[in-house]
Amino acid sequence: MAGSTRRRAAKKPKVDAATKAKIKQKNILGELKGHGARIYDDLNRGRFPSFSIPSRSVNNIVFDDATRQYILGSASAMRSSHNSSQLRSFTQLMWLAFFANRLTKEKKSSTLRDVYYSSQAFAIEFENQSESDNIIVDLEAVTSRPREDFHIFPEERSTIFGDLSVEYTIPGYEGKTMNLSNHPDGYSIGPSLTTAELVDTSAEIVIAIEKGGLFTRFVEEQVDKKFKSIIVNTGGQAPRSTRTLLKRLHDEMGLPIIILTDGDVYGEHIAMVIKSGSANAAHLRELTVPDAKWVGVWATDIEKYKLPTIPMTESDIKRCHDLKSDPRYAYGIWRKELDVFLRLKRKAELEAFSKYGLTNITDKYLPQKLELAKSL
Amino acid sequence: MVQIKERFNQISPSEFFYSNRDLAGFSNPTRSLYTAVRELVENSLDACDQKGILPNVHLMIKAVDPSKPDPRHYILTVKDNGPGVDADHIPLAFGTVLYGSKFGLKQARGMFGLGATMAILYGQITTNTPVVVHSSVDGKTQDRFEILLDIQKNKPVIVRHETREVSKVGLTVSICLEGDYSKAGSKIRDYVYETSLITPYATIKFDDPKGQSFSHPRFVKEIPPPPTIIRPHPHGVDVERIRRMIVESQFDIPVVNSAMISKICKDIGVKKDADFAKIMSRTAKKWKGLTRHVRIVLAMMSFMKMGFDAISRVRIEDIDVANGLISYWDFATSDTKSVPMSSDSPYYRQLANTVQGEQLAAFLTKRFQRVGASTAAKFSEFAGFKPEKRVGTLTNQELVGLSDSLQKYDAFMAPDSSCLAPLGAEPLEKGIAKFFEPDFSAVVQRPASAYSGFPFVVEMGIAYGGQIPSGGPHVYRFANRIPLLYDEGSDVVLKVVNDIDWARYKVKGDPPFVIVSHICSTRVPYKTAGKENVADRPEIERELRLALQYLSRKLAGYMSKRGQAEAAKKRANLYAKYVPMIAQFCTELAGRRKEPAYQKVLRNTSFENTLGAEGASASPSSSSLLQQSKAGERGAGSDHDDNGVSGNGQVQTDDAVPAGAPDIKGSTSDISVGEMKSFDDTGGTLISAPGDRKKAAVRRTATSSKKARSSKRAAQQRQQRQQQSRKGKKALVAATVKVRRQGRQGRQQQKNAGLHAGGSRRSPS
Repeated sequence: MAGSTRRRAAKKPKVDAATKAKIKQKNILGELKGHGARIYDDLNRGRFPSFSIPSRSVNNIVFDDATRQYILGSASAMRSSHNSSQLRSFTQLMWLAFFANRLTKEKKSSTLRDVYYSSQAFAIEFENQSESDNIIVDLEAVTSRPREDFHIFPEERSTIFGDLSVEYTIPGYEGKTMNLSNHPDGYSIGPSLTTAELVDTSAEIVIAIEKGGLFTRFVEEQVDKKFKSIIVNTGGQAPRSTRTLLKRLHDEMGLPIIILTDGDVYGEHIAMVIKSGSANAAHLRELTVPDAKWVGVWATDIEKYKLPTIPMTESDIKRCHDLKSDPRYAYGIWRKELDVFLRLKRKAELEAFSKYGLTNITDKYLPQKLELAKSL
Repeated sequence: MVQIKERFNQISPSEFFYSNRDLAGFSNPTRSLYTAVRELVENSLDACDQKGILPNVHLMIKAVDPSKPDPRHYILTVKDNGPGVDADHIPLAFGTVLYGSKFGLKQARGMFGLGATMAILYGQITTNTPVVVHSSVDGKTQDRFEILLDIQKNKPVIVRHETREVSKVGLTVSICLEGDYSKAGSKIRDYVYETSLITPYATIKFDDPKGQSFSHPRFVKEIPPPPTIIRPHPHGVDVERIRRMIVESQFDIPVVNSAMISKICKDIGVKKDADFAKIMSRTAKKWKGLTRHVRIVLAMMSFMKMGFDAISRVRIEDIDVANGLISYWDFATSDTKSVPMSSDSPYYRQLANTVQGEQLAAFLTKRFQRVGASTAAKFSEFAGFKPEKRVGTLTNQELVGLSDSLQKYDAFMAPDSSCLAPLGAEPLEKGIAKFFEPDFSAVVQRPASAYSGFPFVVEMGIAYGGQIPSGGPHVYRFANRIPLLYDEGSDVVLKVVNDIDWARYKVKGDPPFVIVSHICSTRVPYKTAGKENVADRPEIERELRLALQYLSRKLAGYMSKRGQAEAAKKRANLYAKYVPMIAQFCTELAGRRKEPAYQKVLRNTSFENTLGAEGASASPSSSSLLQQSKAGERGAGSDHDDNGVSGNGQVQTDDAVPAGAPDIKGSTSDISVGEMKSFDDTGGTLISAPGDRKKAAVRRTATSSKKARSSKRAAQQRQQRQQQSRKGKKALVAATVKVRRQGRQGRQQQKNAGLHAGGSRRSPS
């Protein structure tokens, strides 16, 4: 490691991590308070308060060529407390803003499920968790902030491993630093890591991999050292906190991101979501890494490396056709690989390389793909 | 080989029904006891109806030996205050099958006088005990008969006959029969209960074998006008019926006795000892002014060449037009003689017409209803007969042709319904109000209609809410004021009820509602002699359907108002619940200490509050009703506003846009639900939501103004009805409440016991 130049965060912080976090918290609280004050005034003047929520209907989700992702258009709609059919959901949103305010103020972390149960302490009735989840997305849309900003974190945890130093900002750990190469099982990407300041790294690339088993193999085979990389296990579809971290690794540390997935249509889409986000989160722009590169396993690799395959199911094939109508899949390898999948009607998993030896994937496949990535 | 000679026997009607008693509803002890009760009670009610007497019917069932298990012998007694039966007729009326007074064409519960005798017959064959009949016609003397039936001869056998003095008119019939009250009890209680519903002017008391007493006092004091007997409708007759009518139409040959002779003498102005020539010359002069009977006698005399003295010593036997002969019995010589009739004689036509009956046109106009002179002429042309054709001269083939034509000719007017005695809308509504205590009820009496020449009227009532148990529609079927309890599955009423899509009429889930259907006809087309289910004649089905649709629309109107009131109330509650919460949360969020003065906001919602409080009983003016509907329908969707559309709460739920609120239409413009789609959770596939709601909203708007107009009227009507029902409730006797409850329990028990193959009642679907 010695001798290699350690990268620092791209924008050199003028202030320390703790101060930075404080400023962010203040902004969030200020925005929430603004909403509170507006509603307070409305009620005080005998008016029915309302929220203006950017519309997330399909009509208002547009593909933005510049950012190569789905974003919301300009349409928005009022949720008014005057409309009795919206009164209930208005109150729910009001409560959530109130609850997010408490969470942020007290620096307590929470989850979607937590929020659902917390609501019951305030006699807010959600019929089920999906109703409360929807209100949380409403708040995201109103404030244009991901829920992680309000200390609402996803349940799923993916992991990260590699030479990366971070400085925590969560209460009790403020100022503490940690290097993420000390624990071979990897570090789970939770609230503390998501909010930590990225300090420095010797890595030159980030490898995001779909599966935990391969992540472990990569750590064992010291891929982090051999290829100067940070390894991230997405655990299937990458959770939002992982996507946020990938974006920060790219933006703040200037690291290129490559993605390795199973050789099937779902794997291809996992890569696409990291790259350009999901329509679900079209109201948020912080979650994409447009420069991320999907390097495998491609459909063409199945033939090229003579990988053992399994036949595609009907739903796989249907999914292929669905994705073909998505503008993001209209060009380049995205389109090409979809077509090959449809031609082969077979798929291969990352583990398929084990046919040629357990280390085949790290010894042969990965170097070739890393080389290829440079030209993509 | 021995040749076996087949032996032919004629059997009597009694014997026929003895061996086929299932046909009349006497198949087992349970059913038989029930049927016997019915037949006797209906006889009593019919008798009272005929004479316009408010019926008091007392039904008693007692076990002969209570210690025995069912099925056992019971004494069934039915006592009424009707006109009674004349002592002369009692043996025949109660001791002969198919003897009765009900064959005429008018509405009555019974049809052939078969039922009561069948009950007696059944009692006799199961217990070998005579029927006991007490009857007083004048209210002074009472005849007491004990009668057995001679089944083979279809003749009564009087076991005992006594007479005593009494103070009341009426009939009591008491039979001993085998029955099973433990199983039939609930049906009999139901029967009594439902009978008092459809016969609100009757007081019916029932003492059951367990010592319980059920009393249903009358709650209507006026008896509906009794039906009149009418002539048959041309569509309602067959060949046999026409043949009998023709025989009736032929004129009698008058009896020549001294009274007749004196009349003739007076009419033509001669003395009794006038000679033949004198008589004939006077006849020729006076012919035009003579009556028909006198003419016939004189015409005969002209051929027989007899004076008064001679003709009184013979008996005319036949006027044979075909052979031109008059035959007569001569008392003096004790033999039959005949004289020729010359067709040249001016008197020939008189005699020929007499035996050949009326002319077709006259026959049609006089013997049928709804046929006038011009109809008769048109029909004659249609059928290919001359209107002057004498009906007595029709050959068999012509008779069949005439009958066919009567069926096929479709220009006859609909049958006269004066022979029908529907209950009437008002008593029916009173009955429904009293028996079901509903929140809402409506009744309708359809205009008279006809099937195959038999007139009928459909009356129907519908009731919702109140004391009615859920799980409806509960269907109460009646025909000619008889409750129909068995075999409902195959009944036309059930068919019609089941065909209705109740959701269209805003009736959903497990609704508490009742349908009462009453078919009145001179002949209800029962499927069996047991009188339990009505066959599905298209004409009847149509009338039932129209009646039910009409009532369903009324119900739908009520339901939507009820829904609006509930929704308005719900909506007001919503504000009261949520606005303080909003205030609480925004106070902390805004960093304030004092809550905002949100009461003003709540006051702005209070207009709904008042409407909500008035609830279903309010009769708002049409304009405020419209507002209410606007508020209500939108509020109704409030608790489930997510609609699966990704909780995007700002979405206007288009189907909540009420009819008749054009100002609301604008709200569909910001986001059209029709084109709404949402993303699935895994991040990307498009899912379409259904897209034709907008259209539906537009359609509804078009019908709105009509609704608004009719709503005011409906509200007034309902208010009137409510006043009525309140009155009715005051008059309610506590005992009846008790009885009805027991009736319901009984029904439940019976369901559990699975009394009869008919299965559970009143839950179609």
